[in-house]
Amino acid sequence: MSDARNLWSHRLAVDFRAALVVVAVLAAAPIVVTSPYTLGILIVSMYFALLAMGWNLLAGFAGQFSLAPAAFAMLGAYVPGLLDYHWHVSLAVGIPAGIVGTAIVGWLLGRVVLRLRGPYLALTTLSFAEIARVVISNSYDFTRGAQGLNVPTLMQSRVGYYYLFVAVVLVVLAGLFFVMRSAIGRFWLAIRDDETGAESRGIDVVRYKTLAFALSCAICGLAGALYGTFSQLVSPELGLLLQTGIVIAMVVIGGIGTLTGPLVGALLVYLASEWMRGLGNVQMIVFSALVIIFARFFREGLWGLVARRRVRALPRAAAGAR
Amino acid sequence: MTLLRTEGLAKHFGGVAAVDDLALAVEEGEILGLIGPNGSGKTTALNMLSGFLVPDRGSVWFADENVTGKKPVALARRGLLRMFQTTRVFVRISAFDNLLTAGLARGLDEAEARERARVLLEELTLTPVMYLDAGQLSGGQRKLLEFGMCFIAPPRLALLDEPFAAVHPVMRETMARFIRRRNEEGHTFLVVSHDMPIVVELCDRAACMNAGRLIAIGATRDVLQDPVVIEAYLGSESHV
Amino acid sequence: MLVVDLFVNGLIVGLFYALMAVGLAMIFGVLKIVNFAHGEFYMIGAYTYVLVALKLGVSPWAALPLAAIAGALVGWLVERSLMRPLYAGYGSWSIMKDEYAVVVTFGLSLFLINLVDKVVGPYPYRGPALVETSRFAIGPVMLNGQKLIAAGVSAALLIGLALFIKRSLWGRQIQAVAQNRLGASLAGIDATRTTSLIFAISGLLAALSGALLAPVINPSPDVGGFPAVKSYVIVVLGGMGSVWGAMIASLLLGVLESFFAVYVSYDYRDAFGLLILMLVLIFRPQGLLGEKVREL
Ligand SMILES: Nc1ncnc2c1ncn2[C@@H]1O[C@H](COP(=O)(O)OP(=O)(O)O)[C@@H](O)[C@H]1O
Ligand SMILES: [Mg+2]
Repeated sequence: MSDARNLWSHRLAVDFRAALVVVAVLAAAPIVVTSPYTLGILIVSMYFALLAMGWNLLAGFAGQFSLAPAAFAMLGAYVPGLLDYHWHVSLAVGIPAGIVGTAIVGWLLGRVVLRLRGPYLALTTLSFAEIARVVISNSYDFTRGAQGLNVPTLMQSRVGYYYLFVAVVLVVLAGLFFVMRSAIGRFWLAIRDDETGAESRGIDVVRYKTLAFALSCAICGLAGALYGTFSQLVSPELGLLLQTGIVIAMVVIGGIGTLTGPLVGALLVYLASEWMRGLGNVQMIVFSALVIIFARFFREGLWGLVARRRVRALPRAAAGAR
Repeated sequence: MTLLRTEGLAKHFGGVAAVDDLALAVEEGEILGLIGPNGSGKTTALNMLSGFLVPDRGSVWFADENVTGKKPVALARRGLLRMFQTTRVFVRISAFDNLLTAGLARGLDEAEARERARVLLEELTLTPVMYLDAGQLSGGQRKLLEFGMCFIAPPRLALLDEPFAAVHPVMRETMARFIRRRNEEGHTFLVVSHDMPIVVELCDRAACMNAGRLIAIGATRDVLQDPVVIEAYLGSESHV
Repeated sequence: MLVVDLFVNGLIVGLFYALMAVGLAMIFGVLKIVNFAHGEFYMIGAYTYVLVALKLGVSPWAALPLAAIAGALVGWLVERSLMRPLYAGYGSWSIMKDEYAVVVTFGLSLFLINLVDKVVGPYPYRGPALVETSRFAIGPVMLNGQKLIAAGVSAALLIGLALFIKRSLWGRQIQAVAQNRLGASLAGIDATRTTSLIFAISGLLAALSGALLAPVINPSPDVGGFPAVKSYVIVVLGGMGSVWGAMIASLLLGVLESFFAVYVSYDYRDAFGLLILMLVLIFRPQGLLGEKVREL
């Protein structure tokens, strides 16, 4: 990729268009997919797609490998749940409160872990995630503990929920595209590649890192809040490290540091795991093995492989035409 | 006018005094060479000047403002930029995007940054590799790219740490030319270097450090012929 | 005399923690990575011990070394197959080394858990005890035989390890590589082989602690999660990579937790360790016992 197609603006534009195609396919799916069960599966896979996009913002774009995305989804789900359970606050307030709440907690966590990199950051965010989960599990009086909490739903219509998720995925995707095209996105990439270097060039690392944390956590919180109202039950299991593992798997398989990768990765992994459930529950073995294989040998993930092929194929086609 | 000034600057690592009571002044418009044997504290001094290390004692003044303990970002905003001994480019984006990012970081708008990036790439002979990821560039090309990132919005003072070390002679010449030209336009440099011929050719004045202390400062030729300086270099040689 | 009881039992738990955490600390020492699959070395040890003893009818005392071998083998394999990109200058600019390590070891952890879950089954096994005894008291201290023997074996292993690192040629090579990988290579030490050795030792120790505790913990596929988290806390407390620090921190954590569970909150005793971890990393990243190293 040694021509103008390797420029970030170009890579991002191609990436965004591909992601839009995926969203279009999702939007058209109910024409053929009508079973509520299958729609439900697609909704859950979009929940994971949102988490994957949120985590990818932080890890793939800004280079901060947090192990807490699932914990933030859990927090985002509990906020509307608790607001309703204790104070009968409506979801119209509860869901935005969940998003803002997770953004604030994410911002604070970002401030606190500012100086930590690599394994130190991974351990600190892992601890945060586990503490959050243990506290929620054990605060029975407030959260009803491991038993979980019933949450009201936004609507009864499954198709309605389906399109709500499609719309949210689209909005988040477009938001990511515009941010990544702006100076903020470029500063994140710089921080990811060399934090000290970024600082020396005059990039306010503190500000942009905490911003990445806040936005990423807000996306995860949004995903959790919506998912909670969809499943009408939130429990500490949403925040299990295993869930974070699944999200990482989706991003790594799909292609980290891209827009299409997390989206496609989440859909493929979740749909395939539903399919494999029928084949003797081997899905987690397959996906964890795939994560290792992709991380080891295909670091750009599925989307990276496709994008590179596309770019390579073009000059050859041009040469053939001559 | 004195652009940068330090008073009694000191930094210890454990028991080692990496920099000890350093008083240094860089005059506006000059190229000051900072020489000294390995481990004499040049990089540590630069780290304190650019805000990457907080001094144990002493103060740093930039354009008559006390900037001691200010963060690198704050200093960069005031026009005090530094380059590292080992290059720090953004390896997973293209060389062109590196320049663009640096321009945006210095407050240029995107169109302006793009324009300046193209001019700089040409001047630095990097146009043929501008679309390669910076990680694919050679060491010398990365150094040139860093020059570009530094000068996409010209700094008031550029601190360069060993820019000529381990660089192909042709590129070394490109760099020296770049520095000289910018200097003629009025830019100020503090250059840490081991390459004596280039120091002689490039620098108006030179300062020499040894064991964390400033042992000589003055016209470049005088400093290089100073017996104390020769002694310091010979002394370090015999240790190797 | 609850205090004495808590203290002694805390120390015993601390010994198990140490056996588990030291390997993690050694890996961090040489590669500056956290092995998130460390708990699964423990799980493999526990299962090997239980299955060999139950299914093959081998004496538990013979199953113990087999578990150790299994752990060492897995550790060695992990290093050979997955860790090489971290130091082989492999595609050096395009790989984010820290992140690669997190992803790969995290993935490996999930893989091993689910593999065992599928192959052996999700239900906990009860391991045969090394000796059949009931609980007994020495003065105010309540003990049980299995725990006491396990603690004794742990202590012996830890002392053996300490001597090995301090005295033996291989041990000194490990120290050299941990201190300065490049320097050690220049001095003619095979840094790659030394790293393999460290992973093997790390796997061996974790597997042994799993095997020793198998009769008490009733291994299930996810049994490694709990000791793994303890090891993270300990490695952080002990100064990220220091073996001696890890040993002291283990005993400290064992005792602290034992008191915390009784005097503060039983439910939150696990969160307590993690809170310590967070606080230490945030306020004193070099660990309570470590020295500060800064790179620029
Ligand atoms: N981060 C650090 N920790 C401990 N010692 C350091 C550190 N940085 C530099 N030193 C020590 O300070 C002294 C000066 O180093 P440095 O400034 O890099 O010298 P120079 O750039 O002149 O070669 C050396 O003895 C070096 O070992
Ligand atoms: Mg130096």
